[in-house]
Amino acid sequence: MRRHTRRVFNLCYRFTGNPTSAEDLSQEVFLRIFRTLASYQASQGAFPTWLTSVTRNLLVDHYRRTRRDRMTDSIDDAMPQLEEKHSPARMPDKLAQASELSAQLQRGLARLSPELREAVILRDLQGLDYGEIRTVLQVPEGTVKSRINRGRIELARVLDEMGVRPA
Amino acid sequence: MDWNCTLTEERLSDFLDGALLPEESAAFSAHAAGCVNCTKLVAQVSGLVSRMQQATPVEEPPQLAGRILEATLGSRKQKPVSTGWFGWAPVIWQPRFAMGIVTVAASFVIVFHAAASSGSKTSLNPLNLVRGANRQVHLTYARGAKFVNDLRVVYEIESRLSSQPETMSEPIPVPTTRPSGEPQPGQGPQQPSNEPREKSQTIPHSSRRAPRNGPELAVMLTKVFPDDPTFRAPRSPL
Repeated sequence: MRRHTRRVFNLCYRFTGNPTSAEDLSQEVFLRIFRTLASYQASQGAFPTWLTSVTRNLLVDHYRRTRRDRMTDSIDDAMPQLEEKHSPARMPDKLAQASELSAQLQRGLARLSPELREAVILRDLQGLDYGEIRTVLQVPEGTVKSRINRGRIELARVLDEMGVRPA
Repeated sequence: MDWNCTLTEERLSDFLDGALLPEESAAFSAHAAGCVNCTKLVAQVSGLVSRMQQATPVEEPPQLAGRILEATLGSRKQKPVSTGWFGWAPVIWQPRFAMGIVTVAASFVIVFHAAASSGSKTSLNPLNLVRGANRQVHLTYARGAKFVNDLRVVYEIESRLSSQPETMSEPIPVPTTRPSGEPQPGQGPQQPSNEPREKSQTIPHSSRRAPRNGPELAVMLTKVFPDDPTFRAPRSPL
């Protein structure tokens, strides 16, 4: 339960960049899973893949639903709240460094297009392989590879512009 | 193989994943080594991928699991926790605690009973305690066995007696006594009697268990039941 909760919350948080929205969306994901569990079949893929698919579909719905809000309310507004919560001043060096990196990464992800963002998150942060990502995104594997490649390059450039140097 | 910056950008992830053919990989490396932009791009992306794959997952809020459970399974009713001096009382009624308490109490009772029956301070010697307890146990067992045997004897007697009426269903002839002046059987005409014959010649139900046969028995019955005409003593022929 905890493993799946963390997985779903991370996906939602990395996609939306807002912990409150991520929490609400995670709850919505599990509610939907609970209601549609009877329709799950093993032929659709492993349960974690199915869980990721449901999460991704909800994220897409959420993205479309909140598009108008984002026109007036920048996604960056949510970031100070997260940085305050994980204030590096209160943490040991390693934790503070990881937290800072996570915040920078989040800023960079927020500037990617949704298609590239979800591909990079699923591959590099969630650790799914190309086949699983193809199942989740319902696109050909060539498209998956192309999106991941372009997403990585785009994110590296964004982080470079933000002054974040590679390790 | 001819390689350029566009190809480097397109096949960068394949290179990082090790999915290029050997000749492609060699051409990629050769181009990246000689191109400043591609060298920088490869370094940035490989560093980024490495950092993302090592990034620790974000901790979910602690209340999230509770919210999910509540949304899916409904809210749980909290069992009221009793507090105060006797808040622990319900705990001892759990079978494991209750059995333990009973066992300890029984052990103390046996030991102290054995010690008290010895009647001296030296009886607190563990050996004496064990002997006393052993003696008590055997005595108790012997009493119980005797009681059970007694009960068995009583029930056996009762069951045999209760089966007697079936075997004694036919009338039992007993020496009948007649009042003086009545003719003896076979002497003179027999007077008709209003009473049924069986009544005068059968043992009443209440006395069916009396010993039978023998003149001494009749005498004994007459002594025991002097008012009962059935057992009236026979007159002497003299």
